[in-house]
Amino acid sequence: MYNYISKVIRYLKANRTSNKTNNINRNDIVLLPDLARNLAKLTDHLSSINNIISQYINLYIMINKKNDPSELLSDIENLTQQVISKEINENITKVRIAFGHSSDLTIRYSSFNDNKNIVYACLYIASLVDRSMINNLSLELIKLDHQCQDATNGINVDQLTSYFSRLTDLKQSSDYETIYNNLLSGNTVFLINGYSNFFIVATTSYVGRSVEEPTSQTVIRGPKEGFTEKLINNIFLIRKRIKSKDLRVENLTIGSVTQTRVSIMYLHKTAMDEIVQEIRARLSKIKIDGLLESGYIEELIKDDRYSIFPTFLSSEKPDSVAAALLEGKVAILVDGTPYVLTAPALMVEFLQASEDYYHHFIISSMIRFTRFISFFLTLLVPAVYVAVTSFHQEIIPTSLLISIASQREGVPFPGLFEAFTMEFTFEILREAGIRMPRAIGPAISIVGALVIGQAAVEAGIISAAMVIVVSITAISSFAVPNYEMSNAIRAIRFVLMFLAGILGLYGVFMGLIILTLHLCKIKSLGIPYMTPIAPKIKGGNRDTIFRFPLWKLKLKPSGFHGTDRGIEQRYPISSNQQK
Amino acid sequence: MNHKILLGILILLFPVFLTGCWSSHEVNTLAIAVCIGIDKTENGYLVTEQVINPKAIASKRATNESPVVLYTAEGQSIGEIVQSLTTQSPRRIYHSHLRLVIFGEEVAKDGIQDIIDYFAREREYRTDFYFAVAKGTTAKEVLSILTPLESIPGISMYSSLETSESFWAPTKSIKIIELINLITADGKNLVLPGIEISGGTVTPNSTDILHQNNKLKKPKYTGLGIFKKDKLIGWLNEDESKGYNYITGNVKKTVGNIYYDNKVKITVDVANVKSDMEAYLVNDKPAIAINIDMTGKIKTAVGPLDVSKEENKNIINKLSEDRVKYFCDKAIAKVRKEFKSDIFGFGEAIHREYPELWDKIKDNWNDEMVDLPVNITVKSKLTQLGQIATPLFLKEK
Repeated sequence: MYNYISKVIRYLKANRTSNKTNNINRNDIVLLPDLARNLAKLTDHLSSINNIISQYINLYIMINKKNDPSELLSDIENLTQQVISKEINENITKVRIAFGHSSDLTIRYSSFNDNKNIVYACLYIASLVDRSMINNLSLELIKLDHQCQDATNGINVDQLTSYFSRLTDLKQSSDYETIYNNLLSGNTVFLINGYSNFFIVATTSYVGRSVEEPTSQTVIRGPKEGFTEKLINNIFLIRKRIKSKDLRVENLTIGSVTQTRVSIMYLHKTAMDEIVQEIRARLSKIKIDGLLESGYIEELIKDDRYSIFPTFLSSEKPDSVAAALLEGKVAILVDGTPYVLTAPALMVEFLQASEDYYHHFIISSMIRFTRFISFFLTLLVPAVYVAVTSFHQEIIPTSLLISIASQREGVPFPGLFEAFTMEFTFEILREAGIRMPRAIGPAISIVGALVIGQAAVEAGIISAAMVIVVSITAISSFAVPNYEMSNAIRAIRFVLMFLAGILGLYGVFMGLIILTLHLCKIKSLGIPYMTPIAPKIKGGNRDTIFRFPLWKLKLKPSGFHGTDRGIEQRYPISSNQQK
Repeated sequence: MNHKILLGILILLFPVFLTGCWSSHEVNTLAIAVCIGIDKTENGYLVTEQVINPKAIASKRATNESPVVLYTAEGQSIGEIVQSLTTQSPRRIYHSHLRLVIFGEEVAKDGIQDIIDYFAREREYRTDFYFAVAKGTTAKEVLSILTPLESIPGISMYSSLETSESFWAPTKSIKIIELINLITADGKNLVLPGIEISGGTVTPNSTDILHQNNKLKKPKYTGLGIFKKDKLIGWLNEDESKGYNYITGNVKKTVGNIYYDNKVKITVDVANVKSDMEAYLVNDKPAIAINIDMTGKIKTAVGPLDVSKEENKNIINKLSEDRVKYFCDKAIAKVRKEFKSDIFGFGEAIHREYPELWDKIKDNWNDEMVDLPVNITVKSKLTQLGQIATPLFLKEK
């Protein structure tokens, strides 16, 4: 706000000179109502609604009359940092007006036990506070008495402060902005008549989901805790796993209206300083009114905004975030969502799961390899099927061709149309499956299985081979552990399918080349997406498609790290393995 | 600026769509040919194409439709006839999955050069199909027979050729590249497997007849046809064909009977046959040495001979060596006497060893070959006796 106003004033100053030459800038015309709107917002804080218009006019006159704009600036500065007055009723009225008489803004008046002249009030928003804490506070406040008075029947500030510090977290402040912010975070503001400071008592309600098993990333082996919507819980879940003083948490607030709390977490020295700074810089540049999910952040600070591939790894699992932190990544936690972002995120990570490190390395390598295969199956099976059946029948083994030919006998559509219809139907089913009420689930699966699977084939509209192709594509897409990545491939497979239908395998390969170029081009926080494959990091490939045993993983797979590599701490080498 | 780039990309992209799918042809717009038969007529050739009828092969629906459809047309050249078949067929005939080309005996005798050119030149043909000659019949006759186990006769004949080559020896599969090489080669001539119609009394030309299983006529491979350049000049019988394959090292596995003392009959499974042909000089005249190595195992042993004894093994080895040598000699003798065509590749062996000498003799080679000394040494090694050692009914002495 302050910045904006100083900007306005700079404009006005420039305007003044241009006015003399009667050259009215187009910008100024736009600017003036804009300014007015913002000043109106300001005046909200200042006085009652009745006053707004007059204040606005006053300010307007001020702007026009003042010779020196910097004078105006200091005026406005004073206005924004308006200090509360000593008169409790005035303060409360202002707060009430500011909140537009919101019905959950609760104000409790009371007075000292033995001195009814000292009136105090507790302000809180009923919907945000923890009732039991409020009750405790009230019980404590009953005990307020002469101890907190000084000789002249005023208030003994020291006594009062020490009294409050026995209670929960205590802050003391004196401006309105702080009152509003704290009320909105669920804290209670304690005002005393005749005293121009106020106290803040933390009474935030921690109502929310308890720690549950994540729904989108289930595991067989490994921790089953998942993040919740509460930021503080999420930080706790990570801190609990990494008991290091190097684990740093930085808080900031994003969203001009929602005032969403966002935390950055990283391991000092393990994470590259440049990356941490880059994230800080990018987050501070975000200008948005509301921030409801970490997806907003991802979209706003992504390196290649138009790329379909996710360059932030979102996870619901504290153990995978902890592992990412240990690899030198930075986590971004957003209040109100259980999805925590870690960055930089590399292509291969989207095909890895935390469980890979909990199983035997041969099993993990096998499973990981399966995932890579299914990645390509999702991407290519429909495209290759279309290309091969409508362009390159000569590369199908004869007996298979005969079988396909007999299935396609009587199918009225060309391969591309058939493939597209079926894949699209599957997408519809999938989307419907996510959004529909749970109770209707079985109905959808019956309709899906019967309509897509059986009836279409029996009616001779779709060939049976196509159903197999769609199924294998669908199943493979679920084998990709990351939902965003699986979405990206699903979208690309339609493009490849069209290329296949138009140009055959030639088109498919063209598409693949473009895809590869794109993947090599995009970056995640400045780190190339295809690291450690391209650019090749020596030893980095030990943890990409296959997972080497832990004692062989001496280098961080990603190839980026801070000054302290922390490798030995990460993979302790026992004495018998060292030999 | 951005608009210009976008426009540029669009302009580059649109031609891609303008081309449409010009070379696209769905599977169900194709008639997949598995077999082509070529016969001679007065005017030129009679081409018979065996085309798969996918509807009849679909596993779910039982139909009485024939699994294959035959299209025949006559004309001057193969290319022309094949194109003209579209006047009969509702679909484009697609040849990439061709499995077998059958020449009628008459065509083969006339020479197959012109026909081969078509198969080698035309883009649609792959190089993995086989050739055969219809022995004593026309290709059309062979192709009109339906086969019971494998419902597509073309594939049935193709598989039969492959399996008999690996398990029975007297056939030989030849693909187009080898075929052309053999026709154009100097010191080696072409052989092609013969296929005849054998057994039974009923010609299975519709699926109904296929139920009368034991009376059916079947296509059957029989011996090898000997070519001189591109013309068929005669046939080897099964034994001689086997001899041919032993000499050229084309035996993968086969079975042979040996007799001992008129009472003992032993069937030996032959495997691991390695043949080695070398040219050498005797008095400045070329001669050929053929070394054949093989291993055998006993399949049946009937009669009073204890095959488990070491000395008896030697007898068996000796007998099998003689037997193989007999096949080889027979094949060489017949070819020399009757056909004068160097199908064994003796000339090639001499060419490799003595290029200068070869230059002198090659023009008249097919006649000179008649007097070429050929030494055949066979070495057999009995490795296994089977699941039992001594014959079951061998009386104790």
